[in-house]
Amino acid sequence: MSGFVPGSASRGHQTFPLAARFALRELRGGLKGFYIFIACIALGVAAIAGVTSVSRALTEGISREGQAILGGDLAFRLIHRQAAPDQLAYLEDLGDISRVATMRAMARLPENADREGNQALVELKAVDAAYPLYGAVALAGGRSLDEALAQTDGIWGAVADPALLARLDLAVGDTVSLGRGTVRITDVIASEPDKLAGGMEFGPRLMVSDAALPGTDLVQPGSLVRWHYRVRLNPSPGLEALEAIVEDARSARPDAGWRVRSRANASPGLQRSIDRFAQFLTLVGLTALVVGGVGVANAIRAYLETKREVIASFKCMGATGGFVFRIYLVQMIVLALIGIAAGLVIGALIPFAAAAALDGVLPVAMAANIYPTELGLGLAYGLLTALAFALWPLGRAHDVPPTALFRDIVTGGTKLPRKRYLLATAVTVALLAVIAVTLAHDKRMAGIYLAAAAGAFVLLVLVARVIMHVARRLPSMRSTELRLAIANIHRPGALTPSVVLSLGLGLTLLVALALIDGNLRRELTATIADKAPSFFFVDIQSQERDAFEALLAAEAPKANLQSVPMLRGRIVSLNGIASEDFVPARDGSGWVLRGDRGITYDATLPENSKLVEGAWWPEDYAGVPLVSFDAEAATDLGLKIGDQVSVNVLGRDITAEIANLRDVEWQSLAINFVMVFSPNTFAGAPHAHLMTLGWEDDVPVKQELALLKTVSNTYPTVTAVRVRDAISQVNDLVAQLAWAIRGASSITLVASVLVLAGALAAGHRSRIYDAVILKTLGATRARLIIAYALEYAILGLTTAVFALFAGGLAAWYVITRIMDGSFVLMPLTAAGAALIALVLTVGFGLIGTWRILGEKPAPVLRNL
Amino acid sequence: MKKSIAIALEDVHLTLGDGAGRVHILKGIDLEIEQGTSVGLVGPSGSGKSTLLMVMAGLERADTGSVTVAGTGLGPLSEDQLARFRGRNVGIIFQSFHLVPNMTALENVAVPLELAGDGDAFDKARAELEAVGLGHRLSHYPAQLSGGEQQRVAVARALVVEPEILIADEPTGNLDDSTGAQIVDMMFAAQKARGTTLVLVTHDPNLAAKCGRMIRVRSGEIEETVATAAPHEVQA
Repeated sequence: MSGFVPGSASRGHQTFPLAARFALRELRGGLKGFYIFIACIALGVAAIAGVTSVSRALTEGISREGQAILGGDLAFRLIHRQAAPDQLAYLEDLGDISRVATMRAMARLPENADREGNQALVELKAVDAAYPLYGAVALAGGRSLDEALAQTDGIWGAVADPALLARLDLAVGDTVSLGRGTVRITDVIASEPDKLAGGMEFGPRLMVSDAALPGTDLVQPGSLVRWHYRVRLNPSPGLEALEAIVEDARSARPDAGWRVRSRANASPGLQRSIDRFAQFLTLVGLTALVVGGVGVANAIRAYLETKREVIASFKCMGATGGFVFRIYLVQMIVLALIGIAAGLVIGALIPFAAAAALDGVLPVAMAANIYPTELGLGLAYGLLTALAFALWPLGRAHDVPPTALFRDIVTGGTKLPRKRYLLATAVTVALLAVIAVTLAHDKRMAGIYLAAAAGAFVLLVLVARVIMHVARRLPSMRSTELRLAIANIHRPGALTPSVVLSLGLGLTLLVALALIDGNLRRELTATIADKAPSFFFVDIQSQERDAFEALLAAEAPKANLQSVPMLRGRIVSLNGIASEDFVPARDGSGWVLRGDRGITYDATLPENSKLVEGAWWPEDYAGVPLVSFDAEAATDLGLKIGDQVSVNVLGRDITAEIANLRDVEWQSLAINFVMVFSPNTFAGAPHAHLMTLGWEDDVPVKQELALLKTVSNTYPTVTAVRVRDAISQVNDLVAQLAWAIRGASSITLVASVLVLAGALAAGHRSRIYDAVILKTLGATRARLIIAYALEYAILGLTTAVFALFAGGLAAWYVITRIMDGSFVLMPLTAAGAALIALVLTVGFGLIGTWRILGEKPAPVLRNL
Repeated sequence: MKKSIAIALEDVHLTLGDGAGRVHILKGIDLEIEQGTSVGLVGPSGSGKSTLLMVMAGLERADTGSVTVAGTGLGPLSEDQLARFRGRNVGIIFQSFHLVPNMTALENVAVPLELAGDGDAFDKARAELEAVGLGHRLSHYPAQLSGGEQQRVAVARALVVEPEILIADEPTGNLDDSTGAQIVDMMFAAQKARGTTLVLVTHDPNLAAKCGRMIRVRSGEIEETVATAAPHEVQA
């Protein structure tokens, strides 16, 4: 007789390869029962791989066309002034140069064209003969740019964006007044290679020759003109050599005050926006994957339920619990890989589809390609999510008793899996979170998002349990249908957890996004428009300021006027540390260091500001330059009173000491500045003025336009920005983004529907059983439909209530705590969410049950 | 010459279920089964005979008392150690066959050998299937086999590891009489040829009578032990 030695050599035989062999044998049965599992994973992976690949394709597109987008290998930008002779000489030494001036101006119809809306804000661009150094300006008429901009019969030619022609009802050949000059529209711009370099646009493009600029009188001391010097290097150097030249340009001419960019970083603003948007959509994709994860867990639980006998047989033949776990883990991985592969194929195709669909819409050609890193990310997220949701139910397989073969044991116990599986689940979830946060640009936001999603997940699990508990404890109802519905809600294998969890997560996200979007737009259109002035007038020369103010006072006697001196400057260093090298204390106000800022000086504390720290300087202050800093920006940057801020204004570096900190109410859109200097700082510097005009009450559009016309005609070099137009511009942008976000987040709802369909399919057999038994006992189809509809409606409504609460809470947090806005719950959004939940649950539920109702009792009873 | 003891149970108690559903199933079972003998466990439904079989196979743990099978005390073994013990020492035949549906007959028989790390698993499985007359059905799946063929595969699977103990739970319960008789003959022939200890549970008095010893279980206790003049008893 051979005694058994516990833990002997046989331990090593039940290896992973053997488990894999068993797993593959088991999978011969096909994928039946796993389609929802595979679809859930494929959907989430496709979303993540697609979003990241599109973002990469855009980034590559920007990088590939870096020279054209930037307008050269290098671009130097100055504000208010042109390059000094020595600076120009330095640039000319580098290579071929093209000079471009950009500014905002008013394009007006000739005075005899007497109709409303006869002027428009334009983004004016004056180009030299060398422009563009890279790429080409395509004109709709097909002529060359030189030809189109040339002077004919004493009038300079100009080319315009089609939007300008539409706005002013112009045709090619018409003339428009520009400042004190006139230009003739000779052609329409079809494409402009360096359009992206311009940043936010408030009006359509109007391009003229730089020789036409002096005739407009638009360029005055202190005018908001940006002078761009683009350099083509011969030969074009590699990126490292390019960086070296950039460094040299910064260090060799520290006082030049120019902002230097290379083709490697042609459009950092756009790049940042793409990155942030992509990160957000990746998180949304991850949410879809998590919602789908519920479907994964359901599918595995249902599958393992059917495998109890096989598992018990394996155990009777000597298989250990760990070996059983490995067999089904391998099967799960194989299935997940099938889903991931499908998702990756779709995700890889998305950039190509997007490139085709967005051709001509985007300002940059997407470099559609297959990007392995982005696809790898989709694979990692897909596999980790599948594991995170599968390990728990798989862990339970470990403890299926072999005695299950001998006696019926009530299945689906709520016993927790062993600690090792709980730990593995926790580690996988943590890994998912770490990857998501590590890859995010704004780690804090990503962290908050994940914490909120995890919180919602746990809450939904609890909500499902509470619903089932309450349903179980409810007193018996008189209505048979209601009684049946309530029984279906709490019985073992009920749809409740699946519906509440998957639909709840998707709906919560959708409600939160809809409320954030709605509140943002409400702030923009209602709140801001109420408080904001009607007009901003820019580039008012000092000598014409009083007359201009008098004109406004005469034309709009009831309006409030505010006037401040205005210069543009760039922060070059903080406490001696160059702004490029400065590391802010926390996220949020990095924008202050990027690009140039409007700055002003004032003897007294400006309106809309509240002093929070330090003291304002005396009106006749004459000491070292002082500056008042926006308190929030100062906190974000880690600045305090006494710190030194150096700004480059008009080519001079000016260092001022922070004297106080102010709270600024940015939402008012009144005149606000991050930095307000003591008046002595800019004594004698040439500058223009900024003026706002606002009415206490709403005035008709007609009155606004009439004032605009008078002002534009009397002061043609003053640029008027109508706030309504600017807001509608921003509103359009927000609306477009909101649609993109909503589109992406609806993927989570699709995932919810998949999970719902899966849960319904899993419960199909028991539903048929119920229906047949009830029909045998005399229930009509109508009664069964009512019972099922009631069940689905109760689940859908409860889920909607939770989604409204959780989504509302999330939106409130984002709006009030992160965006510092005011929050209003919107009843239409709430009703919309409830409707979606009801349509999805009742609709899909009844579609799923419809066939069941048609089952004839006899054949089913025979087979039960 | 005295035979060695294959299975020894001493004052074994077992209770299953929780709370109000708790049932005291085995109540102080003392039993010794000699190596190479055959034993039939009979008794009414719910008497505890299947549970007793499970305790002997290491599938169920006794609450108290000691269980020694094939020279190994099962009490201190962990779940996984018990599983490996079964794989090496116990072959089990079920009433419902319990073959793995997505594995061929050959693969089903090879499973216990593969689990035990036997490098010749498939050769041995093939030989075992040929021995039960299924050499021509090696690559068939369970669904493609008749009930009798499935049970023959199950017998081959139970015997392939050359177990010291062969356990059978109503092995003919799902078969017609003539097929059942074939399976029984096969089981007893194998037990005789290999010197295996056979313990089976049955409601069929004829099948019980074929065993060298019949134990009647009632209400969790051994009511009586009857020695039968079984022709299959192995003479040590």
